Amino acid sequence: MPPRATLASALAAIVGPDGLVDRPDALSVYDCDGYTLERGAPELVVLPRTPEEVVAVVRCLARSRTAFVPRGAGTGLSGGTLPVDAPVMICTSRLRTIELLDVPNRRARVQAGVVNAAITRAAAPHGLLYAPDPSSQPACTIGGNIAENSGGPHTLKYGVTTNHVLGVELVLPSGEVVELGGPVDDRAGYDLTGLVVGSEGTFGIVTRAWVRLVRAPEAVRTLLAVFETVDAASEAVSGVIAAGVVPAALEMMDRLIIAAVEEAFRVGLPLDAGAVLLIELDGPAAGLDDEADRVAAVCRAHGARELRVARDDTERALLWKARKRAFGAVGRLARNYCTQDGVVPRTRVPDILRRIADVAERHRLRIGNVFHAGDGNIHPILLFDERDADEVARVLAAGREILEACVALGGSVTGEHGIGVEKIAQMPLLFSPDDLAAMQALRSVFDPERRANPHKILPDALVCVEARAPRRQVPL
Amino acid sequence: MTAGSHPRGHREYVPADVEGVAGAIRCAYERREAVLASGRGRHLDVGERVRRCDLLLRLERLDRVRAHEPADMTITVEAGCTLSALQQTLGAAGQWLPLDPPCPDETTVGGLIAADLSGPLRASQGTVRDHLLGLSVVGAGGVIVRGGGRVVKNVAGYDLPKMHVGALGTLGVVVEATFKVRPRFRAEQAVVLRARDLAEGSALALRLRDALEPTWLEVVHPAGLLLAGATGTLVIAGMGGAPAWVEQTADAAVRTAEAYDPIRHADGAGLRRDVADLVARPAAAIIRASVLPADVPGSLATAVDAALRVGFARDVTVHATAGVSRIAVAAAHDVPRLLDHLRASLPERSVVVLERSSPAVEVPAADPGAGGPAVMLMQRLKQSFDPARLFAPGRFGGET
Repeated sequence: MPPRATLASALAAIVGPDGLVDRPDALSVYDCDGYTLERGAPELVVLPRTPEEVVAVVRCLARSRTAFVPRGAGTGLSGGTLPVDAPVMICTSRLRTIELLDVPNRRARVQAGVVNAAITRAAAPHGLLYAPDPSSQPACTIGGNIAENSGGPHTLKYGVTTNHVLGVELVLPSGEVVELGGPVDDRAGYDLTGLVVGSEGTFGIVTRAWVRLVRAPEAVRTLLAVFETVDAASEAVSGVIAAGVVPAALEMMDRLIIAAVEEAFRVGLPLDAGAVLLIELDGPAAGLDDEADRVAAVCRAHGARELRVARDDTERALLWKARKRAFGAVGRLARNYCTQDGVVPRTRVPDILRRIADVAERHRLRIGNVFHAGDGNIHPILLFDERDADEVARVLAAGREILEACVALGGSVTGEHGIGVEKIAQMPLLFSPDDLAAMQALRSVFDPERRANPHKILPDALVCVEARAPRRQVPL
Repeated sequence: MTAGSHPRGHREYVPADVEGVAGAIRCAYERREAVLASGRGRHLDVGERVRRCDLLLRLERLDRVRAHEPADMTITVEAGCTLSALQQTLGAAGQWLPLDPPCPDETTVGGLIAADLSGPLRASQGTVRDHLLGLSVVGAGGVIVRGGGRVVKNVAGYDLPKMHVGALGTLGVVVEATFKVRPRFRAEQAVVLRARDLAEGSALALRLRDALEPTWLEVVHPAGLLLAGATGTLVIAGMGGAPAWVEQTADAAVRTAEAYDPIRHADGAGLRRDVADLVARPAAAIIRASVLPADVPGSLATAVDAALRVGFARDVTVHATAGVSRIAVAAAHDVPRLLDHLRASLPERSVVVLERSSPAVEVPAADPGAGGPAVMLMQRLKQSFDPARLFAPGRFGGET
């Protein structure tokens, strides 16, 4: 590894002095993403302005075999951008150009740092949108979405990031640039694009992507169903699915979350309710009211005590604001919080919620639930105060138990947030040594030297990754 | 099995279960025998020619549905299960896997994945990659590897299932798969329109897409390919979903395209199956040409028309919203010339591949520069997952 100053000046020569962050106070901004239980600042951060600068930076690092971490907006929730034995962080947040909006073909070519919501903003005047809508969509970048294979409420009907990315330009850790996939469907050869999506920055850095745009739905119906208990709401979720309806979104918020969002946004949610379901149906106007009636009937049959239909776009926007900003609202209830991301088969949602309540009680923690009920993708939010070491330990233990329960119910430890550093220890619960060896082999196809975001996703026998302990970087 | 579509002189083995497949592949790897997996043999003519086959693994006995929980809307099946059998199980619960490849009675789940088969429904429902949740594969040395899972959303680890979609069995043998499924359409109709030629028909198709967003949208030329005796080009718009919408949209299609002799088909699903089967219609070869959808009425129609006039091409079908076309060639010796013609005439980003071919076709060597540096990664992937090159050798175009 070259001395830090040598590397810094080589990188500054590429990105300019204002594209390099090397002062400790400024670097501390980059010491974690949305997962705050572990922290560690990189030695240097580079902020290239163009895909070409990214290539030059990666080639510079390749010459000295320096490891790096890619980062978008830093909204990730599994510590995917936490540097572990990677001195340099490459931020793509300045690569903000939508290079091509191809309306007739319903595709766009965007740079990696383009913000998720910006694509839909650009496409909306043409009646099109970019479907995956993570809660962080006003801030998160498409590059980060590709790394994590991000989801969002509307992925119940529309699918996740991988279903909407047609191709990527990837800078391999060697500095080679490969164009995978592209705007034309049905390519020849292996689906490398499909492998890059969800690879959490361990295959290199994506600098550009071709994404699919879909027609904005002609009509939308948004319902709020109020239930006395979480159990009743969960049963209603199963009932809606069993009725053969695929809502655009089917979200649940429990009592603790209702209280938090009510305090923050005054949406008029009933504070004494056990849970509410936010159900959205979209598509052609013909037949949509009929479908909404069927959903309402199912909710009533499962004991919904109140049903509200958003009367207009303003009311709909308010309901969604409550849902998408629920995480932020929770910040009012506790100094810190940690969001888990387990998945269970849809029919096991009541089981996992009971388990979560049990875990909360045993560990003396407050846990709220706001999640994609239609997908079985839970998001328990564990509240804590990071100054209380005992409580932090209990949060970590509780999180682990919840994820283990998800696996035991036939599910997964992550539906859309990624493994990152957070859930490496749980990978062997899901995958055999042979499965993990295959993943390691795949990684080596793209990054044989393991210099792109090292020590993520896969349990690594070579380095003792001390789980859960805040990491310190070894100075260069 | 298409006669002669794979090398002769091989042994055949019909394993009873996943362990049987693993054992056979372990053995084959030890003996350095080349392995080709087959379901019902219907799609063995897809992809480049297999150079060597010592052991043909017939997966027809792996035909069990392992798990179907209707309320979870997922299904796990063995690779030898036919798509028809799978759809029958799902149909009992009012569900389906919304994929409609040709010949579902003879198409197994393994073949569906390996050949990445699709049909008209892809216009609104996506392709195999959009529905596949998890996979078990027997890889090099007979090792069973699982990727993905059984839940509808899952980002734990790399998306290994994607690796095998369309890989034609060159990275291992798929033995079990989990899909997410959907409720069946409550109604389905189709409207058939007649255009003068391919250019006019495909332009009409794009107008219908923007005006009506049909569920599927196909172009067939010449019309006689689907309807005996008909002339010109057929454009078929299908609507599946809520009855009110289907009715209203079929009405609108008839009104919008009044000038094109619209005929309404009440059995939309039946017509769709007929169109789907055309993907694997008998021919010396089927060439797949993919362009941007908006390039179909222009450069694709022009290039194909020229080939039809001189007789290199026999007929063509197009998934209009995807820009994916299949051009049938009648005479084996015309195949190389048609490939050259299409590659030279279509826009830069187009993809032209020989999708299916009979043994009479002399398969031209793959253009080594065609895939650019991505091919280097594909070669590394093949090398990493099949170091002895025993899975369907020759079929992966990038290997030399």
